[in-house]
Amino acid sequence: MDDKLVIALPKGRILDEAMPLVRAAGIEPEAAFDDPKSRLLRFATNHPHIDIIRVRSFDVATFVAFGAAHLGIAGNDVLMEFDYPELYAPLDLGIGACRLSVAEPADLAATDDPRRWSHVRIATKYPEVTRRFFAERGVQAECVKLNGAMELAPSLGLCSRIVDLVSTGSTLKANGLKEVEVIADVTSRLIVNRAALKTRPGELTGWIERFRIARETADAAA
Amino acid sequence: MTDSANRALLPAGLRDILPLDAEHEAQVVGRVMGFFAARGYERVKPPLIEFEDTLLDGAGAATASQCFRVMDPMSQRMMGVRADMTPQVARIAVTRLAGAPRPLRLCYAGQVLRVKGSQLRPERQFGQAGIELFGSDSAAADAEVAVLAAEALRALGVPGVSIDLSLPTLVPALLAGLDLDAGEALRGGLDHKDAAAVAASGGTAAPLLSALLASVGPAERALGILAGLDLPAAAAAERDRLAEVVALIQAAAPEVTLTIDPVENRGFEYHAGIGFTLFARNLSGELGRGGRYLAGGAEAATGATLFLDSVLAAAPLPEMPRRLFLPSGTPEGTARAVRADGWITVPGLEAAADPAAEAKRLNCRHYWAESGVKSVE
Repeated sequence: MDDKLVIALPKGRILDEAMPLVRAAGIEPEAAFDDPKSRLLRFATNHPHIDIIRVRSFDVATFVAFGAAHLGIAGNDVLMEFDYPELYAPLDLGIGACRLSVAEPADLAATDDPRRWSHVRIATKYPEVTRRFFAERGVQAECVKLNGAMELAPSLGLCSRIVDLVSTGSTLKANGLKEVEVIADVTSRLIVNRAALKTRPGELTGWIERFRIARETADAAA
Repeated sequence: MTDSANRALLPAGLRDILPLDAEHEAQVVGRVMGFFAARGYERVKPPLIEFEDTLLDGAGAATASQCFRVMDPMSQRMMGVRADMTPQVARIAVTRLAGAPRPLRLCYAGQVLRVKGSQLRPERQFGQAGIELFGSDSAAADAEVAVLAAEALRALGVPGVSIDLSLPTLVPALLAGLDLDAGEALRGGLDHKDAAAVAASGGTAAPLLSALLASVGPAERALGILAGLDLPAAAAAERDRLAEVVALIQAAAPEVTLTIDPVENRGFEYHAGIGFTLFARNLSGELGRGGRYLAGGAEAATGATLFLDSVLAAAPLPEMPRRLFLPSGTPEGTARAVRADGWITVPGLEAAADPAAEAKRLNCRHYWAESGVKSVE
């Protein structure tokens, strides 16, 4: 293994909000990073000893937990789902804000009494969080794992409730669903591998500090 | 699945260790135990399995969820297979060796078995080698075990060893000083160093706890931040002890990277003072851990345990053994002479037409022919 510092960034929605912070912290990826046609997965940066990898948001947590990447950006929805003991989340970046919520069809929500539930079936990308959340209420949650388009599940009879990320609520509304309970407020965190923080403390606390300053500067400008 | 594949399958987390690796492990254990023995630690050997109530007593309670249990058909009492050797050595120190002079220094090596592997150590059986120091609650004792564990790793050739010091008693002392309880959300936030969660669930202690979180990192920087905090008296005493131990470790082992994590608690739930975890650069798992506890619930004790599977992964590979093929009929006197020169002799049982080819087939790079050692190349 070489001594390069690897930063894992999530593909998609959060990346657009994260890149200004990454750049403000002084890390500029090579040109191919912004080229949608590029097939590269690993990118060099203006720092010869730092590389960036771009993976699915759930995989950011896994790469960093196993020490394959040292730093990363991941939402606390992902951190809650995996509950990896090797992950530290020292900085809330305040980006990608949304909620992890329970939703159900609007007409069901009108008559439903959650106190009477002993078992629910839920379609979700977050089976662990969902099971824990309902277990704390004494309800057994049977989770159907889906990777997307959760909103379709109730209308097609797969289940009556879903647990998913909600930002504006317009997707839910368009599918006749109503947000009934918020499990957690979600923002993206700077995450760091525990062993890397212990064995390269100066370097990693330095980068955490630079991200902290980048975030504070962005807040001040907003 | 074929019959042979069926027979090869082992339960999750268990594995066969094959030639070279098994020898390497035995050599590493020998060198580590030699290192500890040379520094006054005497070896003890507890049994693999013992009564559950002694095994899980005191600090051993931390391993209760990791312990395989069986009923003893003789005494009809529950027995546990050790998931950690420290509680056994502590039991020896406070019972059979209660009369031995203090400070009492003991070392041990053996296999442990766990119900579940962890994410980074899926192995359910692995080797431990460690030291325990009984009868002293001094900072010198804290520093001695941490330094010895780190230096034992360095002596094996493990590069980039670092010690992460933790103070599992600090947060409880701090919260008690402020008349607060650590809720689950707060504990989880501290464990994951989740600054946002700690700020949200820390209540009136949030500013202090956030400052503690920010101090996680290199020892010098952490001590600087901790020194500037206005802590309740009990917590301040913990902090001063930490500074003393850091100074002692830095003086004794200046090459070892030293970090401080004042809020680390996982795995230290039963510790009574400074704890530490050993890491090596570019290795994602822990190499060992240790810290201060109360042996038998009363006697001051501190110790360190190395996890041999991680240590083996971090240590440089051993040199290839020098295997010499002796064709059938080579005189025993010759065999003895070449072994005295450091060769491992592999005797042929039947006459071989081409000794060089036979040597190669048996994984020997040299063979004996015409009164001399010949290379197979």
